[in-house]
Amino acid sequence: MANQYDAIVVGAGHNGLTAGCYLARAGLKTLIVEKNDWIGGAAVSRELHPGWTYSNCSYVCSLLRPEVARDLDLGRHGLQVTPYEGGLSFMENGDYFGYYADHDALRREIKRHSPRDADAYDRFSRFVLQQCRFIRPLLLRSPPDPVRMRPRDIQELLYLLKRFHDLGPRQMADTLRFYTASVADFLDEFFECEILKAHLAGSGIIGTGLGVYSPGTAYVLLHHYMGEVDGSIGAWGFSRGGMGGVSQSLAAAFKEAGGEIRAGNGIEKFLCREGKVVGVALDNGDEITAKTVVSNMDVRRTFLNHVEDGTLSDDFVKAVKRFKIRGSSAKLNIALDGMPDFPSLPKGTILTQGDMHASQSLDELEQAYDEWKAGRWSKDPYFDMLIPSLIDPTLAAPGKHMMTVFVQYAPYELANGESWDGPNRDAMAESVISKIAKYSPNFRDLIVHKEVRSPWDIEREVGLTEGNIFQGELTFDQLLFNRPVPGYAQYRSPIKGLYMCGSSTHPGGGVMAAPGANAAREILSDLGRGQRAA
Amino acid sequence: MSNFDTIIIGAGHNGLAAATRLAQTGQKVLVLEQGATAGGAIAQSELEPGVFAPRYAHLLMGLGMPEIKTLGLQDHGYTPAVSDMPTIALCPTGRHVVLQGGTVHYADGTPHPDAAAYQTLTKRLTKFAAGIAQISRQAPPALTGGGWRQAVDLGKIGLNMRLQGKDDLREFMRVALSNVYDTVLDEIADGPLAGVLGFDAILGGHMGPRAPGTMLSLLTRMREGAQRSLPKGGMGALAASFTNAAIAAGVEIRCNSTVFEISVTEDRVTGVVLQDGSSLTCGQVLSSLDPKTTMRLSHIRHYDAEMVRRVRHIRTKGAVAKVNLALSEAPKISGLDDSLSAARWVMAPSMDALELGYNGAKYGRLPDDVIFEAVVPSLSDPSITTGNRHVLSAIVQYVPYGLQQGWDSNSNSDLGDRVIAALDKVAPGLADSVTAREVISPQDIEVETGAPGGHWHHGELIADQMLMMRPAPGMERYALPVSGLYLCGASAHPGGDVTALPGLNAANAVLAGLKRKAA
Repeated sequence: MANQYDAIVVGAGHNGLTAGCYLARAGLKTLIVEKNDWIGGAAVSRELHPGWTYSNCSYVCSLLRPEVARDLDLGRHGLQVTPYEGGLSFMENGDYFGYYADHDALRREIKRHSPRDADAYDRFSRFVLQQCRFIRPLLLRSPPDPVRMRPRDIQELLYLLKRFHDLGPRQMADTLRFYTASVADFLDEFFECEILKAHLAGSGIIGTGLGVYSPGTAYVLLHHYMGEVDGSIGAWGFSRGGMGGVSQSLAAAFKEAGGEIRAGNGIEKFLCREGKVVGVALDNGDEITAKTVVSNMDVRRTFLNHVEDGTLSDDFVKAVKRFKIRGSSAKLNIALDGMPDFPSLPKGTILTQGDMHASQSLDELEQAYDEWKAGRWSKDPYFDMLIPSLIDPTLAAPGKHMMTVFVQYAPYELANGESWDGPNRDAMAESVISKIAKYSPNFRDLIVHKEVRSPWDIEREVGLTEGNIFQGELTFDQLLFNRPVPGYAQYRSPIKGLYMCGSSTHPGGGVMAAPGANAAREILSDLGRGQRAA
Repeated sequence: MSNFDTIIIGAGHNGLAAATRLAQTGQKVLVLEQGATAGGAIAQSELEPGVFAPRYAHLLMGLGMPEIKTLGLQDHGYTPAVSDMPTIALCPTGRHVVLQGGTVHYADGTPHPDAAAYQTLTKRLTKFAAGIAQISRQAPPALTGGGWRQAVDLGKIGLNMRLQGKDDLREFMRVALSNVYDTVLDEIADGPLAGVLGFDAILGGHMGPRAPGTMLSLLTRMREGAQRSLPKGGMGALAASFTNAAIAAGVEIRCNSTVFEISVTEDRVTGVVLQDGSSLTCGQVLSSLDPKTTMRLSHIRHYDAEMVRRVRHIRTKGAVAKVNLALSEAPKISGLDDSLSAARWVMAPSMDALELGYNGAKYGRLPDDVIFEAVVPSLSDPSITTGNRHVLSAIVQYVPYGLQQGWDSNSNSDLGDRVIAALDKVAPGLADSVTAREVISPQDIEVETGAPGGHWHHGELIADQMLMMRPAPGMERYALPVSGLYLCGASAHPGGDVTALPGLNAANAVLAGLKRKAA
């Protein structure tokens, strides 16, 4: 029968594709359904203006677990990630701060701004590296359930405790502080130079509804640092062909394993009978049956929009409703007629091949957050700007460039019931463009086309609730065994056979593929197919 | 030269509590106080002849019965004048909410739509708070070398929580590190009722209700059941009972004695040198000062760079000022039964108002819409004033220590005006009845009490500065690396508020240390 499968994955985001790969490779007849005509979810490349390919949503790559890339042989399927060479912060006084990938160059550059901080930077990177080493093995494990305390939970808890204990007394204390501190306090402990702090602090707020002074943002910084490219921890890179390259390689691996993808029709609802999932109904009326269904959608959409009322207990529904998924960021994708001039930078610098910022101080970042709290987009926003076409020639014609600008903060709901459609979207874009133009006189003239994406647009297109890039805030009450719902952190749901594999689950967002791989492992173990199939 | 077993720096209530506890075991204890009177943050001031106001703290919330009994405070003049004091959640529009004996209703008697949800929430929170209360009565868990005893203690606490039921434990593990803003607004609508819970979490701190971790701040504060009380005779009487209990136990208290230096020989405390040049010897020194000052007094060279760095980064930005008013007549909140004016007034109209108030403090501005907690102790205890006069004491939240224009008499009086105007709005006529006032800025608090940054709790009381991180890793169990030197003030676990716990826990750490040495 055509509409009968062993497993259905709802949503062809990178986590859905990853879960699909593992299931198909284990011999399950697997179907992935996708509401859009294209696949990839937020890891997608689209040619929205002829000649330019945008990484519409996510734009850089580092968190993708190397274990997954190896398991699925993504390199053979076309994945290519190139690390970038640096990054910089423009300064209002006409100077700049260069964040060189090369350690010696970076040290010299920090010394130019503050000799003391150059020494502190070594301590800082050592510390962050240690934290990365501590956390990375946890990414591809399912969180324990400290309440149920089955043997596997106890084993997992002991594993956590042992890893923590192995840090030694000094590191233990630092780790505890690190997980609870604000990124501003954390950086203050190392550095005195404001521009360096502002440059680094961005990683503590990207994608979250918190400010640099909010406790817990130091962890968000770690979340952005724990990735690796080519074995170098904390490095970021571009995926060739844009972030769609990640999804395409996953899709290729999936198809090779015998999987099938149906794009163009979203799900209407999960079909359930007697507390068990039996399949899905698509919005075109098709019904597809499977005993195992995996949702790549965030936890709110999964359970509040697509499960028939009365199927779930009130307590569970309430817990899902209070899971915080907040829109806090926007995105600009810009097609450029040429490379913009940045007169303050040295000629021929490689710094433009990385992430560029223009935030001067922690206070400036915090004030941008204050506006978000009041339901306004930041007039003086934080942005993370990159020109991937400098490294990747597939994105634009020779001499032309593609620019991606991640913007924070932008609330999902605007104050006074204002809408994102119309003047607000344009004004927000203008605030970003004029901030860039301060450092590049010819920037405005080079703009051929731009795509402005408010949280509202991201939600509408990708399906992420409120346009939140992590499918849920990364605050400590929403991590590990609390993510997404206490008691349901091991990728299962109250409905038998229905699983979650999106970023709403441990270890959270980013193009990491860890939730997808973890979910698949749990499913296969439930099906008696043992550990991850190689 | 005199010889003491223990010298305690600072006669705040924690210093006195530690002194009493040690003297009870037969130690010869001396307390040195820089000011003219003992009491520290529970001292009182005379606004005008015959009108006494609590100079800093004005209510009791966390002083538990076990501590009262240990110290014998009740034998030395401490009696609550009012216990389980009602709270009025003030609303700028006049629709005040009355919280009394666990019930909630509007001032005009109509039921509050969130009353039931509020009760369910606070009941659960009180249960959680009671569950972790035990952790406040002992040194925080050590990260290493805690031994089987600590493991057993922690196990007991865990088991207790587990016995309360699966759902409660799950909820506790989610809520403990959440922020008060979301956790409260998940259950009740924003407004003065939510505002009071938010206020209780952030009171004294430099943080907004949206800050993750504020729920833990609230829970620690609720450990004695979230009830507030006023001591009979005012905070001055409470200070006197702490002092008298200490003296009765055999403690010697010397006021007007400033410590110039803590003497250390071969990494061991030998005594103190006073400002006047005299030196005293002793076996151990307990400091109710903050760790930074304590380290300076005992010479920074005795501490490794790591510890100095950690101590330097303890957050101690004060965000609270105090305004005391002498009134010629009893203040009356409009639209409220007269008897309720004796309640605790809280002006925190909503969570959003609190968060907005914090914005100002972050950038060193005076608040436009003042957020405060006020009490009129003379209404319930006429003994603290004479001639039918009244005294109003207000703790004003989000008044920055680092005020942009600096603290001087102008900014002080500006703040006073703002507070009086805000009070006059809810209690019309109050402004005209003010006969005397004092404004105590965070900087004044720092100068007068030694609280670093004028911080109410000697250091931000939020997750990353609590438990084994308080005041800083490596000194969380009261002992400093210099042998015989201990911290016993609000900077140590479990932190600020009038609880006597840091003092008593420190004294117990001293006793345990001596026992180990004897063995």
